[in-house]
Amino acid sequence: MLKKSIGLVLILSAGLLFSCKDKKDKDDDVADFNKAEMLENVSANIILPALNKFDVEVTAMKSSYATFKADQNVANLEEVKAHWKSAYMTWQTLKIFDFGPIRTIGFKSATGTYPIDTAKIHSNIDNGGYNLSAVVNLDAVGLNALDYLLYNDNAMNQLQNDADYANYAEEVIQKLYDETQSVVSGWSSYESTFNASTGTSSTSAFSEFVNEFNRDYELAKTAKVGIPIGKANLGLANPEYVEARYSGISFELLDESIKALKATYNGNSFDSNAEGIGFSNYLVHLEKSSLDNTINDKFGIIQNHIDGFSMTLEEAINDPSKTDQLDDLYLHLQQQVVNIKTDMTAAFGVLITYQDNDGD
Amino acid sequence: MINQRYKLDFFKQKAIAPLVMFRIIFGAMLLFSSVRFIAKGWVNTQYIEPQFYFGYLGFEWIKPLPGNLMYIPFVLMVLAALFILLGFMYRYSAFVFFICFTYVELIDKSNYLNHYYFLSLMSFLMVLVPANRDFSIDAKLFPKIRREVTYAWHTGILKFQLAVVYIFAGIAKINSDWLFEAQPLKIWLQAHHNVPFVGSLLQEEWTAYFFSWMGCVYDLFIVFFLLNKKTRPIAYLAVIFFHVITWLLFPIGVFPWVMIFSTTIFFGTKFHQQLLNGLKSLFKWSKKIPEKVKNMPSPKPYVRYGLIIYIAFQILVPLRFLAYPGNLYWNEEGFRFSWRVMLMHKEGNATFYVTDKSTGRTIEVDNTDFLTVRQEDQMATQPDMILQFAKMLKEEYDGKTFSNHKQSITLHDPAVHAEVFVTLNGRSSQLFIDKKHDLTTLPYNLKHREWIVPFEK
Repeated sequence: MLKKSIGLVLILSAGLLFSCKDKKDKDDDVADFNKAEMLENVSANIILPALNKFDVEVTAMKSSYATFKADQNVANLEEVKAHWKSAYMTWQTLKIFDFGPIRTIGFKSATGTYPIDTAKIHSNIDNGGYNLSAVVNLDAVGLNALDYLLYNDNAMNQLQNDADYANYAEEVIQKLYDETQSVVSGWSSYESTFNASTGTSSTSAFSEFVNEFNRDYELAKTAKVGIPIGKANLGLANPEYVEARYSGISFELLDESIKALKATYNGNSFDSNAEGIGFSNYLVHLEKSSLDNTINDKFGIIQNHIDGFSMTLEEAINDPSKTDQLDDLYLHLQQQVVNIKTDMTAAFGVLITYQDNDGD
Repeated sequence: MINQRYKLDFFKQKAIAPLVMFRIIFGAMLLFSSVRFIAKGWVNTQYIEPQFYFGYLGFEWIKPLPGNLMYIPFVLMVLAALFILLGFMYRYSAFVFFICFTYVELIDKSNYLNHYYFLSLMSFLMVLVPANRDFSIDAKLFPKIRREVTYAWHTGILKFQLAVVYIFAGIAKINSDWLFEAQPLKIWLQAHHNVPFVGSLLQEEWTAYFFSWMGCVYDLFIVFFLLNKKTRPIAYLAVIFFHVITWLLFPIGVFPWVMIFSTTIFFGTKFHQQLLNGLKSLFKWSKKIPEKVKNMPSPKPYVRYGLIIYIAFQILVPLRFLAYPGNLYWNEEGFRFSWRVMLMHKEGNATFYVTDKSTGRTIEVDNTDFLTVRQEDQMATQPDMILQFAKMLKEEYDGKTFSNHKQSITLHDPAVHAEVFVTLNGRSSQLFIDKKHDLTTLPYNLKHREWIVPFEK
């Protein structure tokens, strides 16, 4: 790609010499936009702060678990749970950026896979000799394994009386901690690559960012809501597919995920929510303000629908009077896909395919 | 005028040097692109990994070979391309290349590219012409096949094929989006706004118009300037400039290079003769000329009819879209095999619903369970592929049982509906396929598809 850019500069610079267009003459009615500035903003004000916060929470979870192990009381366990929850909420932002070091080490699936396989977890605990990094154990590790290990009805009892169980939870936390460190150090060297990769090829950071943003949105729609309410199962609900089923924070996570996607779309800072440069600015620059409004409005409508539930997702699924409300939420989630995956992506001129190809 | 000339001079004797040089250049290109295809890992991602293939109407029986056996046709292509280059067992090699390449292309529509179709046609034409009758291993082994002359149609048909590509590509650009909206170039060029120095130029509106109009004029007329001896040098510079620019700006792989090298066929006999002589002395090719070197067999009449049929076919196929009502870019009826190159920016989102007719319960399909990203992307904007996928889903889901802790339902003869939104050349997305149609009941044929929601504007 770099080679191509240099070639392009050489050839078109010749063209520039002959063009008598005065640079200051640029249309003033079009908002300035620069992809490089957007990538810089996203990495400096969203990805990096989210990664740091996640690191802080996972580290605190690790040390609070050590405290709990030494002194197994309810208050100490609550401390672990608080850091787990905070890490999980931060994860809703971090999981959007499945490229660079996050993709390299498979961090997204190692951290966020659900539903987990509780039978597998117990068989690991009982039989020992497991390798938590093995692909077969993807549904026995990560934040949702901890959801089960820390929150199931019998959790305190098992943590206190079953050393293998307590050690398993510790190892899951340790794995998460190690991987987080690896992503943190990986990102510091990848950041400059990301910021500079503004091209249109399917492998440029900008394209990857657009594609992963869409993938994460669709995953939120499908995995957090669609599958549990039975959209892939003839409408027969599958409560066992609910995210964070044991802690019951599935709606909070969905809300946070939509909030994170909306903030990322607008380029807003992770720490302060201050406005920055995002996809939204690019659309306005391309004279697509109405699409930009549609997308932001839709995010708002989705959030309102999520806020309309004052119960856990599992309770809502099991309550027949909530079926229409859930379907309604899902419909809005579905309608946003066309806005961002089709309209927005097409306006940017980004290829949806991930692989390099021969083109037409 | 050109047609007339070809018709009159099909069998005129001409120097064989241009044909021999073309064999070498074309063989080298085929060799490069075949090796490249394998090296990029595309055999695996496009012909081994997918679970489902979008066959062409009437050619659905063409299936990939199981697993890694799929590498066989590609390895054969590499060997055949090398043999074409060397002129070894030339006709057989050209035939093997044509068969393998065309077989691979017919497996899956989602891989359709105009330049693959071009290579398929060109390799077919190469089977017909005796490009091995000089400076080839065949001619070394069997000196009596050596000739200094060949029929005019042997190079003429290759030039004709190139002319078809350019002129139809140019005609296709004569439409309001391309000329009056500068779309899709406006979208594609602004995406390069970060390129140093020229980036701001690329997002200027007039740049997109300039590129659009120049591209159209170039495609329409370049062949005529290449044919004319006087304008040829400057025309070839334009060829290089144009295709290098497209190569730099767009992800179009080897296509620009294919065109840059193929158009050398338009060069004069003298040029090719000198080049060939140079190569001959480099490889110490025997100067001894066998006796019958200027004897051509008398022309066979069926060759003329065959050529006329081929030429007519090449002119009529790209025009078949005229038989369909509605917007060509929206409906894509008569779109492929017509040299509509880089002509539109179309993206879609297709959601499929499999419905149990007795209970009315519905499944929303996750397309990625069945299709690769590339296949899904292609399918979502092309009605024939949407229909094929729907019929495949019916087979896939028929008889499957779905359950939760409370109940269990088995699907029998399910209906398949789709809701598809498509955006074309920078417009807002519009409904493309309405959910009201049970796609499994619709015929898959070449007739106009009335179930496509008409294009609004």
